[in-house]
Amino acid sequence: MSMVKLVNVRKSFGNLEVLKGINLEIQSGEVVCIIGASGSGKSTMLRCLNHLERISTGEVYIQGELTDKREKNKDLMKIDPAKVQALCAELGMVFQNFNLFPHLTVIQNITVAPTIVKKVNKDVIEKTALVLLESVGLSEKRDEYPSRLSGGQQQRVAIARALAMEPKIMMFDEPTSALDPELVGEVLATMRHLAEEGMTMIIVTHEIGFAREVADRVIFMDEGVICEQGTPDEVLLNPKEERTKIFLNKIL
Amino acid sequence: MYLYEPRSNYFYDEGKINVLNETQLWAILEGTIVTLEIALVAIVVGAVFGVIVALGRISKNKVANALSWFYIWFFRGTPLLLQLFIIYYAIPIIYLEATGTSFQVDAMFCAFIAFSLNSTAYLAEIIRAAIESIDSGQMEAAKALGMSYRQAMTRIIIPQTFKRLVAPMGNELILLLKDTSLVSTIALFDLLRTVKTMASASGSWIYYIYAAAIYLFLTTIIQVVFDKMEKKLGVYER
Ligand SMILES: Nc1ncnc2c1ncn2[C@@H]1O[C@H](COP(=O)(O)OP(=O)(O)OP(=O)(O)O)[C@@H](O)[C@H]1O
Ligand SMILES: [Mg+2]
Repeated sequence: MSMVKLVNVRKSFGNLEVLKGINLEIQSGEVVCIIGASGSGKSTMLRCLNHLERISTGEVYIQGELTDKREKNKDLMKIDPAKVQALCAELGMVFQNFNLFPHLTVIQNITVAPTIVKKVNKDVIEKTALVLLESVGLSEKRDEYPSRLSGGQQQRVAIARALAMEPKIMMFDEPTSALDPELVGEVLATMRHLAEEGMTMIIVTHEIGFAREVADRVIFMDEGVICEQGTPDEVLLNPKEERTKIFLNKIL
Repeated sequence: MYLYEPRSNYFYDEGKINVLNETQLWAILEGTIVTLEIALVAIVVGAVFGVIVALGRISKNKVANALSWFYIWFFRGTPLLLQLFIIYYAIPIIYLEATGTSFQVDAMFCAFIAFSLNSTAYLAEIIRAAIESIDSGQMEAAKALGMSYRQAMTRIIIPQTFKRLVAPMGNELILLLKDTSLVSTIALFDLLRTVKTMASASGSWIYYIYAAAIYLFLTTIIQVVFDKMEKKLGVYER
């Protein structure tokens, strides 16, 4: 089943065209890693999927349903905003800088969205939250404020927070880039665990080793286009495109 | 009633100028209450409406944006004293000319309105700056979790501004408290006017010292309370 699909998506900021015609379809249960140089449009592509950014041209589908269809920054058809919001909520997102809510405790960070967006009963969601905290190994931190946690712990809370909305797809935008090297492992372990459970995942990362290990597909982006894609072995070990080779040589 | 009625013989207390008699004490107390009431009403009303005007200023809606811009432009750009005069003197006249009937204005009520409108403008700018100082990642995270703009504002963004608002709010309250002396121009007896009357009647300057002491006492309390609040609201910042 198709989880997300981009059809000829273009995105410009003013005169700067950041995405130059992206076509991409991701199937249920797939783990896709996206690599590419800084400024190649990786984050922008993720953000276009959940409407944090509106595309300039093209079509976006979530679970086969149209969520965005535009031409020259104008909507080509009116799509029910409630439906769009519900579909976008199927996408969980984890950010490079965690973006935990500093004024809420760990458990409140996890429960706030389900209670106000989905109107889940407070007792029910607290139980779920505790299970999630357990699964990311942070049960004892439930009443701490984020400022008291290490970066790795904050990122694991952020993952639990996204999972509490029961997303069908998890997007990670460089989830370990802001972490000290010794904290990277614990976050990757959490993500590996999710992948093993069959979660559909889209991961922007510079951790090539991790990509080789968990990805079903690796996508190399360059200057706003998908330059090359394939299995980890194809893209990471035997890249066909010259630009992929140059990029891999630089970061390995 | 807020209108101060001079009591018999309160100015002349020969020989004991420096010690307040009971009538004077009550008069000063009443003046202090007038001063406090206006400042407190203005800060509370200003905070509530200030949030609304601030949200208008940062909204993408052109009408809301223009209206709040205009509001702030007018109320920050003209003297508070002028605003007080418009409400207390001009509006009743305009009303009389338009309808042919006059109405009784309550000076205290006018003071509440003028000070509240004015502090709304200042607090709106303070609140807007505080909202804009919150990292944009917070709004993005809230939206990525499915929250609407309104939910994100009320549950995530605005609560984070509270701590940052305490200090400027305390500052605004202190300014308001001192500005209440302007109401002497609309027939109200605030603290300053009360002591001024006593001072000129008795020829003694000591009443000004009393007033200064009371102002300092009130502003000190405000400072202490707001400092405590800031600490309390900042518990999450380690
Ligand atoms: N809101 C914005 N306004 C203007 N330009 C933007 C905006 N967001 C991104 N850009 C520009 O778009 C280009 C692509 O940005 P993007 O963040 O998608 O790159 P990236 O591949 O994620 O890079 P990195 O590895 O550094 O995160 C960059 O040149 C960036 O400056
Ligand atoms: Mg990026």
